[in-house]
Amino acid sequence: MPPCAGDRLKPGAFIPVATAAVLLLGSSTLFFVFIGPWLVESVSVAFPICAGVTFFFVLANFTMATFMDPGVLPRASEDEDKENDFRGPLYRNVEVRGVQVRMKWCASCHFYRPPRCSHCSICDNCVEEFDHHCPWVNNCIGKRNYRYFFLFLLSLSLHIVAVFGCGLLYILDHLQDLWALHGTVTLVIISVSGLFFLPVVGLACFHLVLVARGRTTNEQVTGKFQGGVNPFTKGCCGNMEFVLCSPLSPRYISKPRKRKPVQVQPPFLRPEVVKQSPSKIPDNPIQHEVLSNKLHLKEKTEVPESIQLSTPPPLLPPKHNCNLLKSHLDSMEERLRYNRPSFSSDHTSSELPKTLEPISRMLGPSPQNEDVASTQARVCFHDYSSEPNLDRQNEVDPVSERSSVLQDPHLTSLNSRSHSLRHAHQQRNRPLLPAHHAEGLASNLPQKVLLPGGLSNRSSSLSYDSLVSSRPGEHRSVTSRPHLGHQIPYLPLDSTLGRLPAQQRHSPRTCSPVFMSASRHSPQLQDPSQALYDSLSRGVMASIQERKELVEREDPQAACTSDSGLYDIPSRRSLPPASLSRGPTPPAYGSREFLLSSAAYGYSSRWGLGSSSTSSLTRASRTSGSSLQSHMAGSGGQGRSLSPAYRSLDRQAPHCPPTVPSSTYAHQNLLTYSSGTDRRDPSAADTQGSPETLSGI
Amino acid sequence: MRSAPRTAARRTTLPFYHQSFHNLQELRHNASLSNKVFVQRDYTEGTVCKFQTKFPSELDSRIERTLFEDTVKTLNNYYAEAEKIGGQSYLEGCLACATAYLIFLCMETRYEKVLKKISHYIQEQNEKIYAPRGLLITDPIERGMRVIEISIYEDRGSSGSSSGSSSTTCSSGR
Repeated sequence: MPPCAGDRLKPGAFIPVATAAVLLLGSSTLFFVFIGPWLVESVSVAFPICAGVTFFFVLANFTMATFMDPGVLPRASEDEDKENDFRGPLYRNVEVRGVQVRMKWCASCHFYRPPRCSHCSICDNCVEEFDHHCPWVNNCIGKRNYRYFFLFLLSLSLHIVAVFGCGLLYILDHLQDLWALHGTVTLVIISVSGLFFLPVVGLACFHLVLVARGRTTNEQVTGKFQGGVNPFTKGCCGNMEFVLCSPLSPRYISKPRKRKPVQVQPPFLRPEVVKQSPSKIPDNPIQHEVLSNKLHLKEKTEVPESIQLSTPPPLLPPKHNCNLLKSHLDSMEERLRYNRPSFSSDHTSSELPKTLEPISRMLGPSPQNEDVASTQARVCFHDYSSEPNLDRQNEVDPVSERSSVLQDPHLTSLNSRSHSLRHAHQQRNRPLLPAHHAEGLASNLPQKVLLPGGLSNRSSSLSYDSLVSSRPGEHRSVTSRPHLGHQIPYLPLDSTLGRLPAQQRHSPRTCSPVFMSASRHSPQLQDPSQALYDSLSRGVMASIQERKELVEREDPQAACTSDSGLYDIPSRRSLPPASLSRGPTPPAYGSREFLLSSAAYGYSSRWGLGSSSTSSLTRASRTSGSSLQSHMAGSGGQGRSLSPAYRSLDRQAPHCPPTVPSSTYAHQNLLTYSSGTDRRDPSAADTQGSPETLSGI
Repeated sequence: MRSAPRTAARRTTLPFYHQSFHNLQELRHNASLSNKVFVQRDYTEGTVCKFQTKFPSELDSRIERTLFEDTVKTLNNYYAEAEKIGGQSYLEGCLACATAYLIFLCMETRYEKVLKKISHYIQEQNEKIYAPRGLLITDPIERGMRVIEISIYEDRGSSGSSSGSSSTTCSSGR
């Protein structure tokens, strides 16, 4: 059979370990056989015994280092992979003890590598706390077996010193019989041990320093913590203690344990629903009738299984009844407070009324626009209530995602229609609502709407992403995504509203990070309407998609720039200088951005552009080779044009200014993004990120 | 003639179990996997095993926050106990070293003991709290301690779905 590369590697991989084993065993055996008796007679019996004990430790640690599982992480299941979304960002940032650490997507194992984890190309496994792949033991050195490797090095150094010393003593004692059998053997032993003395002792000292500093070889060699703080160190003593005395971690890849199956059988319990406002009329037959009439407007795509919310969605009266709507607002507010405790409750509770109030106010002064406003309000409510559904769309096929406003088809269709109403309204005559009302709405609503979205985890943002981009028959196209900025549900009426001057409204398009999985575009913060999309129902999003297509045809340039934002570090291209004067980004959004990018780790919004940039390096790049990606990313942010499979994305590349991925952990801290300021200076973007990524973390 | 089995477990013994939705009882008591939620690790304190207690929004309508948070916090406590560097871990290390690590063949390490406790705890939680709500927690060890996987089941009810759902008797971990 012709040997292929893989075949050749396998036997070749065993040569160093076989050599090491032969040399170790052979030399030591010869030592004990030929020099041991002389040592017992001439020097002391303690010498051979100590040497024996040392050799015993060497063998034990060598065996453990060779055969012990280093902490291999099993491949992620397909379900988890779908949640992560194969078109997600290459990096995900996480904060470890105040230091930003970047988790890279592993294309082989289909998960974001935990901190300090790395993928070994020789073993083709992700290894926890990866140190290095040692050819002398033919095994990766990782979390579980680092201690044994370290002790092997120490004990081997000691053993080599002992063997060399005793052999030298023997030689010096038998200078006249140098060429006798014993002498010759001793000379061989001395030369072998002398040959390996320097490398082994040098390596042992190197690892001693690593242990003291709390670093792995991988981190030391790639220079991760050179300029900055190592968040994993526990101090010198703590590190030594951790390496030598920590409990043995369990194996992750082990034989499946037989367990008693747990039966899951309906009917299922549901959590108690908090008090509902008596003004809510979910059972109004008239409403049902009206809403069912709007069902036909719902986009017809496959609808996956629905998750039933415990609380029925709010059914708003079809009549333009401001009072009823207002009371409904109150009830919704209460319900939202209950349903969304995960939100920064101070935010939600205090600002929900403010959020909803402008809507109520809107209903009063402009009865002729009531239809639009009320539908807007409905969308608002629906957004909140549909949040769980949208969030849950993690693993749903993107093509079907858009269709699946699950438990609320009525409201979905309603929202679609309302969106169309809004859009039409926008086209006709923007400033219909009083500016101050709208401004209040703009200032309050986006933040609050963002809160639910922001707190949704990354998967929900991913689902939004695919939702936004997917169209019938178009799988995850991102081209039209940016245009969502045009159809802003909450700020439809006045282009001069709040912080969105008309000319600036284009810029949000560039960064529709809200939909992009974890593209952490801070510019979006500037566009509250953009942010609002996150909480829109899928039906609305679907219609938004259609609108986007229309606009895209009219304005290909805008589409291009906005689209490029998806793949590039948003900060760069997305914002024209005019956007710098935009209003302050709400911190909630900022944290939302960060949460999106870091999969809702709940860390403070120290996300900075660096983190956002790294996380949004190339969405598509996750599926292509990681090394290529890192190279491309490092080479200046044309990250999108990585893989031929993503040509559609690539075409946007020329329009985008080059971006640079963010940098090392230390530099991440420097890149904190303040809401008032805008993009980072591109030159400040660390090119150090490039070598780091290239070094194959 | 044998009557149709009444429990889900017994229904698995039917010859065409996967097509058993034709059985009226199947239609009534069918639950199928609809979604999975992944609770990620919390790395704020380093690489110690700790999971986020943030309540996933997908579970908003399925389980009370407090129950979920209690479960995750208990799991975090278990893992903290397992990874604690103290007297027992010193003893284990020394003993292992002294016996050339042969002790691992005979004795269970402390981590493994705690893992067994965790496994029992998860099983108990599944039986008492999560399965009645149509949820199942997968032991994180099966996912490399990276995530807590929570499977969400839907009641197919009498929808008579033609997609041929099968009832679930799922193990909390395979």
